[in-house]
Amino acid sequence: MTLKLCVLTPNRIILDSEVKEIILSTNSGQIGVLPNHAPIATAVDIGLLRIRLNDQWLGVALMGGFARIGNDEIIILGNDGEISTDINPQEAQEALEIAEATLRKAKGKRQVIEANLALRRARTRVEAVNVIS
Amino acid sequence: MSSTMWATTSAKPTPLSAKASSRRSSLCIVRCSLRDLRDRISSVKNTQKITEAMKLVAAAKVRRAQEAVVSGRPFSEALVDVLFNINEQLDIDIDVPLTRVRPVKKVALVVVTGERGLCGAFNNNIIRKAEQRMEQLKQLGIEYTVVSVGKKGNSYFQRRPYIPVDRFLESASLPTTKDAQAIADDVFSLFVSEEVDKVELLYTKFVSLVKSDPVIHTLLPLSPKGEICDVNGVCVDAAEDELFRLTTKEGKLTVERDTVRTQTTSFSPILQFEQDPVQILDALLPLYLNSQILRALQESLASELAARMSAMSSASDNAVELKKTLSILYNRQRQAKITGEILEIVAGANALA
Repeated sequence: MTLKLCVLTPNRIILDSEVKEIILSTNSGQIGVLPNHAPIATAVDIGLLRIRLNDQWLGVALMGGFARIGNDEIIILGNDGEISTDINPQEAQEALEIAEATLRKAKGKRQVIEANLALRRARTRVEAVNVIS
Repeated sequence: MSSTMWATTSAKPTPLSAKASSRRSSLCIVRCSLRDLRDRISSVKNTQKITEAMKLVAAAKVRRAQEAVVSGRPFSEALVDVLFNINEQLDIDIDVPLTRVRPVKKVALVVVTGERGLCGAFNNNIIRKAEQRMEQLKQLGIEYTVVSVGKKGNSYFQRRPYIPVDRFLESASLPTTKDAQAIADDVFSLFVSEEVDKVELLYTKFVSLVKSDPVIHTLLPLSPKGEICDVNGVCVDAAEDELFRLTTKEGKLTVERDTVRTQTTSFSPILQFEQDPVQILDALLPLYLNSQILRALQESLASELAARMSAMSSASDNAVELKKTLSILYNRQRQAKITGEILEIVAGANALA
């Protein structure tokens, strides 16, 4: 029993394969999806999507979006996504440090909002690199 | 000497595109030298090679740009599907920050230009449209600020400090989601923090290989049904997606536009929403915003490449014609010189005999 998973972003298809289980982070917490899950629609937060194919966990850094689960078929629409194997660990770490520095220097409501978003994205990418198990 | 017989007294240097009729009367003393003409012919030949290569590179890139649009279709189809279904299931009018309509006091204009020149009137057209819009807004008493995307627009606005610019952004060759995200973040924070009340996107729509249209689309506030609205309030249904394809018809490169209506399948009726509708829409609309911005960037890139193709193509043709003109001139000079030498020899021989 497998789930058909499709992760789409505005410019390309990140992933389109059969998986055994996924763990998704949503605004209201993390949810695990196994085959025969009830149909739900949920908003996806900026965070890590963990995918299990044959006892091997793979991470995908998702930058927010929407997921629709039903009939053993999952469609995730993300603003942007990167598979953990495609992320350069050093570059992700540097991006995280730059984002933290920008947040410290941010002044005014607008800059703080933007800096926070950038920080969360950078943090997700660093987490994705560390998930390979 | 006889070699100066064919030189005229005009001392003005001619422009590069000298026409055939004015060739004899616009000869300059410097250009009479055979060596200079030969150098000029070889430099025109090199220029023609370069412009021909640029045209072929632009043609190859248009194909890539078109593939990028095609690969973005699964996303927009799925998104339109979801938006449609969500709107059916949520009958109440929900208030999401991105759809709030406020009285307009300040407008943000996102102007998409190209990165490089040598593309004909492309950058000029979009900048002129932006200036027209700013003039319109000024007359209505509405303030504006500009978000400039693209090196050409950036340098234009940097030289005019009287135009308020919010941010300068540049993108690499093929627009990625990161570029669209950067613009979307900026626009999002401007709108939500109520610094501006309306965001308009100015980009060049790709009509055909020889024609492109600068258009203005209202980006924010979004309509909950996911319609794309023009400045005049003319709305296009998001379910109708326009695609352009670069194909060949009768051996010539043409562009065909297809309008595809996406099939909207209904959700299973027991579908449960994990969060309340406001949060769901809150997550969906930025996705829609991102994909709209990315589409605009891709279309703008395709129009720039098409404009460069046509500009380089006419430059190549001009170079070929100029080379022909110069070659004829060169041969005439060469033959005149030979004739002169023969005459001298014959005259010398006659004088001796």
